[in-house]
Amino acid sequence: MAVQFSQEKMNKVQEIIARYPEGKQKSALLPVLHLAQEEFDGWLSTETMDYVASILKLTPIEVYEVATFYSMYNTKPVGKFVFEVCQTGPCMIEGSNEIIAYIKQKLGINVGETTKDGLFTLKTVECLGACGYAPMMQLGKHYKEHLTKEKIDAIVEECRNNIAINN
Amino acid sequence: MGVKLLLEKVHVEGIRLYDVYKREGGYRAAEKALKTMTPDTIVEEVKKSGLRGRGGAGFPTGLKWSFLAKPEGVPRHLVCNADESEPGTFKDRYLMEYIPHLLIEGLIISSYALGSNNTYIYIRGEYAWIVDILEQAIREAKNNGWLGKNILGTGFDCEIYVQRGAGAYICGEETALLESLEGKRGNPRIKPPFPAVQGLWNRPTVVNNVETLAAVVPIINITGEEYAKIGVGRSTGTKLISACGNINKPGVYEIDMTISVEEFIYSDEWCGGIKNGKRLKACIPGGSSVPILPANLLLKTAKGETRYMNYESLSDGGFITGSMMGSGGFIVLDEDQCIVKHTATLAHFYRHESCGQCSPCREGTSWMDKIFQRLESGKGKMSDIDLLWHIQYNIEGNTICPLGDAAAWPVAAAIRHFRDEFEWHITHAEEAQNRNYGLAHYADPITVVQ
Repeated sequence: MAVQFSQEKMNKVQEIIARYPEGKQKSALLPVLHLAQEEFDGWLSTETMDYVASILKLTPIEVYEVATFYSMYNTKPVGKFVFEVCQTGPCMIEGSNEIIAYIKQKLGINVGETTKDGLFTLKTVECLGACGYAPMMQLGKHYKEHLTKEKIDAIVEECRNNIAINN
Repeated sequence: MGVKLLLEKVHVEGIRLYDVYKREGGYRAAEKALKTMTPDTIVEEVKKSGLRGRGGAGFPTGLKWSFLAKPEGVPRHLVCNADESEPGTFKDRYLMEYIPHLLIEGLIISSYALGSNNTYIYIRGEYAWIVDILEQAIREAKNNGWLGKNILGTGFDCEIYVQRGAGAYICGEETALLESLEGKRGNPRIKPPFPAVQGLWNRPTVVNNVETLAAVVPIINITGEEYAKIGVGRSTGTKLISACGNINKPGVYEIDMTISVEEFIYSDEWCGGIKNGKRLKACIPGGSSVPILPANLLLKTAKGETRYMNYESLSDGGFITGSMMGSGGFIVLDEDQCIVKHTATLAHFYRHESCGQCSPCREGTSWMDKIFQRLESGKGKMSDIDLLWHIQYNIEGNTICPLGDAAAWPVAAAIRHFRDEFEWHITHAEEAQNRNYGLAHYADPITVVQ
């Protein structure tokens, strides 16, 4: 399958490029990579990165070096739902280790792995700025805070239902 | 109740919307600034206010603004640093999420003062939903004539754009942020040249924190002179503190910097005391990078004087017996918390976030993380403590940007104040692994504020 933005997304790309002075379209790289990741299965393949390079008139290496620097870009395939659990000090105090252990056991995967059905990936991340509402994790665009085992159960259930509805 | 300048209206229903914000007195400062003040008089007003950078460094904002180069024919930029990533810090998020127009109004005034026609908010990538909130606020402001061409007939044009980062603590450092905004890896630049001379796309640029720029609104409203009367000494105005850890009421608080640390922790108006009736062991008062203090040094300085929640008092005693106001990320640890384990998470954090540009930081943070893992796995050696000390000593001051220092300080302070807990971790390896806490003898009983 050839990697190609829809016309709508392409308009969005042009709108982003217009935010910067002429000739500075490289500034659009981070936002366009976000857009590409959302559009193409949640990760950035070499093909996707090359495509972004061609749109922004950059060399592929300029895209690779950025994609591999920032932790939010996935350079390997991930599940439909990525659980990114914070493990830094303030979350650790509030029991993030127990939450991570519970997710591992519940989904039968280790940190960095994806469930066989391709639904869930578990990642640990560094401080996400929700220290007062710990423990927490990021799921897509949103934060799930004050996590408990029961909340994890509900979130997993919600994700499964979501898939069932959309299929 | 203390003075509130930023969060006074935060609980007004619908304050996120333009109409409500306007009705509650919003955009009065922008109108006053653009219609009755020149850019230079605004800079003077901010200087008079004594406002200091709220991101962590505490540099005087007016002075920073006055350094901005103004070569003929070269565009200048204001960049708002919303990359808030310092562990323990979540105040900017709160402000942007609940009262976004305060930031937008501050940006309009500041852009006018600095001559920035294209202003950027660089926000950490994880705050994805806040991008929508800010863009909505920007649209509303534009629809009501506060952005765009010839604002209020002044001839001043201004656009504000929101740029998302993608997960890199280092991009909170201003030159790394500019690199990132240019579409590159977040590698900090060597200074000089400073951004005020060569910043975004080599143009003169001012980078300020969210809270700093929001504070410009009350400064214009009440005048710099009046703003400077709030607080104490060189700690003028109000400061947002994000409190977390083992306290009854974690959250974001606006303080006027005259209250004591003890009052802040124990008063019901603020943190509401330590959770589950436990005793206070230690606290990191200004974000993970600043030195941790044991309870006795937190509440009183080494001279035995009461410690207050302001820049000067928190740093009283330097790094030997004091700490820093930093970003206002206030992390409280109770008597059950293990200092070694907590510091280990921070060592891991800095290893993960080092950009890899400078060897002392890249290698040093990696070694420190490995040694902490060794201590945590029960295989620590007594010599590891001195080894950690030497590594942090060799990182500090030997890197392009302050991340190296930020990685060194928490380790240094933990060893300085809790060396016996490190030793216990090694001599009682098995016990240390099987329980969640270390030595508790620093949790001296202290008086509770009623």
